Amino acid sequence: MLSVEKVDVFYGEFQAVREISFQVQGGELVTIIGANGAGKSTILKGLMGLESCERGKITFQEQDITHMPTYQRARLGITLVPEGRRLFQDFTVEQNLVAGGYTRTDASAVERDLQRTYDLFPILKERGHQVAKTLSGGEQQMLAIGRALMASPRLILMDEISLGLMPKYVNEVFNTIESLHREGVTILLVEQNARKALAVADRGYVLETGRILIENEARGLASDPRVKKAYLGG
Amino acid sequence: MIWQQFANGLAIGSVYALIALGLTMVYGVLRILHIAHAGVYALGAYVGLLVFRFIPNFWLALAITMVASSFAGIILQRYLYAPLLALPRIVPLIASIGLFIAMEEIFRLIAGPYILAFPADPGLGGIEWGIVRITNNQFLVFLVTVSLLATLWFVMSKTKLGLAMKATSQDLEIASVMGINTERIIATNFLIGSALAGAAGVLVGVYFNSVYPTMGSIPAYKALAIIVLGGLGSIPGTVLGGLLIGLGETLLLGLINIPFPRDALAFIIMIIILMFRPYGLLGKE
Ligand SMILES: Nc1ncnc2c1ncn2[C@@H]1O[C@H](COP(=O)(O)OP(=O)(O)OP(=O)(O)O)[C@@H](O)[C@H]1O
Ligand SMILES: [Mg+2]
Repeated sequence: MLSVEKVDVFYGEFQAVREISFQVQGGELVTIIGANGAGKSTILKGLMGLESCERGKITFQEQDITHMPTYQRARLGITLVPEGRRLFQDFTVEQNLVAGGYTRTDASAVERDLQRTYDLFPILKERGHQVAKTLSGGEQQMLAIGRALMASPRLILMDEISLGLMPKYVNEVFNTIESLHREGVTILLVEQNARKALAVADRGYVLETGRILIENEARGLASDPRVKKAYLGG
Repeated sequence: MIWQQFANGLAIGSVYALIALGLTMVYGVLRILHIAHAGVYALGAYVGLLVFRFIPNFWLALAITMVASSFAGIILQRYLYAPLLALPRIVPLIASIGLFIAMEEIFRLIAGPYILAFPADPGLGGIEWGIVRITNNQFLVFLVTVSLLATLWFVMSKTKLGLAMKATSQDLEIASVMGINTERIIATNFLIGSALAGAAGVLVGVYFNSVYPTMGSIPAYKALAIIVLGGLGSIPGTVLGGLLIGLGETLLLGLINIPFPRDALAFIIMIIILMFRPYGLLGKE
């Protein structure tokens, strides 16, 4: 479904991503783990078109999207739950969700997905008319996920969505990821919490200073001594 | 007497709001100060007058002006700002000031340095309302600004385009992640803002029966004071700021009659309000 071939991303002179290649098959849950500054967010931004990729090629559903503007990628069915949530702060919960479904034309399907999102996160329904910036951190994170789901995406890119959440919410968020996965949504997950990420993922890549070092089944990675030592605390 | 001044102040203030809206809308999406916007306002007055001389119909002149000035706005966006956006914010600012001065010179070269009369009669008639007399021209200003502001309000709060515009001004990148064509939304902000400025140019030209090359100078900096006062990027704040400055100027100077330069008052009001509300009336941190 998604194929990345030898992609380079630069910030000015600084090369943040070096000759990265990987694939995500339809329906897969793939995770990228790596230390702070390894380039995880940069990869997701490159896939979404928020950073331009200098060399290499990105293909989504047999279509070359390497230089396609972000909004067109969104219309192809790619979406991003960005690092730091990036909600529309002055919008209410409901307006954020409606904005998430911006490109859709079938009003009744949007309404159905709105209800589905509220079923998934009942707290969002309670807070429907509250302005996003007044939500708690956990509520904001749920809203960021809900907003992405409203696009009815084929591929969701998730960047550190459990960061800064209480353990209770972390579990809830990972439950959500698993249930989306079961529904057949394709997910590329970037996580600090490597243990949890590997527990839900099918496959994973280990990223170090802009390069992919290891690629394996999630179970294999979780028992890999190098991964254990560096990312799972021994 | 006070009510009469009140009507004058509201008329002036609503025109200020029309001019400043474009500035605030452009700031909202691009975070730049579009000084040349006041040039679009003066351009509007000239285009309106030109049309009016061929076909002396006020409403036709207004409509053509709004179309022409929205084109001017889009051209500025595409050929002046778009290439400069990647550079530090000071660069588009200087380019914008430069262009504004150049536009004033071009108006002077083409139309001459004189004050031209704009004797349009929209055919509305005035209203006597107890002690308040709303003149033909004041009534015109109210009618046009209220309808334009109501239309803008409708677009912003009731349509999908409005949702996209508000989303884009809050977070342009994420708006594009939602599938919003943010390039087009930026152009739309220029289009709407410039159409409003053009309309303001025609209204002021008719209201004071004068059109001249530097008519944009004072609105250029007064609009800055208004958008800062209202809270940068806030549309309702800008309308409020425009009305407040228009009323403040007219009431204070008309009633108390202090020997004070009218055009400095906008900044004094702005400074006083910023002392209490550092982000403006309806601005956010
Ligand atoms: N806008 C930017 N300008 C310059 N350098 C940047 C920019 N964004 C990221 N970088 C650099 O690129 C490298 C990769 O950053 P990135 O945000 O992709 O890391 P990350 O793996 O997501 O880290 P974290 O786990 O902390 O989120 C880092 O060295 C960072 O300093
Ligand atoms: Mg990151």
